[in-house]
Amino acid sequence: MIKIHVTSLLVDDQEKALKFYTEKLGFVKKTEIPLGEHKWLTVVAANELNGVELVLEPIGFEPAKTYQKALKDAGIPLTSFKVDDLNKEYERLKSEGVKFSMEPKTMGPVIMAVLDDTCGNNIQLVQKL
Amino acid sequence: MKKKTYYETQLEKVIEQSALPEYHYLQVRQSKDFMEKCYSEKIELDKIAMAACMSRFHYIRLFQTIYGTTPRQYLKDLRINKAKELIKNGLSVAQVCYEVGYDSLQTFSSAFKRGTGFSPREYQKMNISNRE
Repeated sequence: MIKIHVTSLLVDDQEKALKFYTEKLGFVKKTEIPLGEHKWLTVVAANELNGVELVLEPIGFEPAKTYQKALKDAGIPLTSFKVDDLNKEYERLKSEGVKFSMEPKTMGPVIMAVLDDTCGNNIQLVQKL
Repeated sequence: MKKKTYYETQLEKVIEQSALPEYHYLQVRQSKDFMEKCYSEKIELDKIAMAACMSRFHYIRLFQTIYGTTPRQYLKDLRINKAKELIKNGLSVAQVCYEVGYDSLQTFSSAFKRGTGFSPREYQKMNISNRE
């Protein structure tokens, strides 16, 4: 059986990303393996330490930067994370200075919001209603 | 007021063009809330459909379209997740069985095993050894 074990997110600065994803979003660092000037850096959800790992991958490839910027400018999220209570998370993150390009919005069976991860990406938070 | 992003305007368009009217989502959500409140009781599908103010047939089809699972399976998963929490909190398997709306220990154990891959007792033992 094939399983999803990692998913990747391109970031402009791995250290800054680690800080944001752990200190603001509440993920936990899982692996940090030095690889030349960068590292294999992954985080996981605090309540799923053996769950899918999110790779905070350095963006070195120029066309990827163009793609990332185009998504960012259009407000399109690169990926989406699930939360139990979106309004609560929104208020918490806003009070910690996180910027949102889309405030909580109900869309059919979900409520979602989009935040700026400060590393070049829009990230969507989703709560299933 | 903050200017909407391209993404947000596209989302609004998509939802406007959705084949399902907003009240259908609200009705189905109502039934989901009902299951979340009453999972510990014996609830029949007709009663759940009633909470959504729909016929049973229409309700099942709509629930599956929106959530990708049947209401029966959703309720089963909900009960198993609650059971996992209660076992972790130290309740006995028999107590958990009744707390999550099953009146037969055997049916509960089979549903738990199908949902988690472990019997309730195995799951309980794993949690005790994890705590130690």
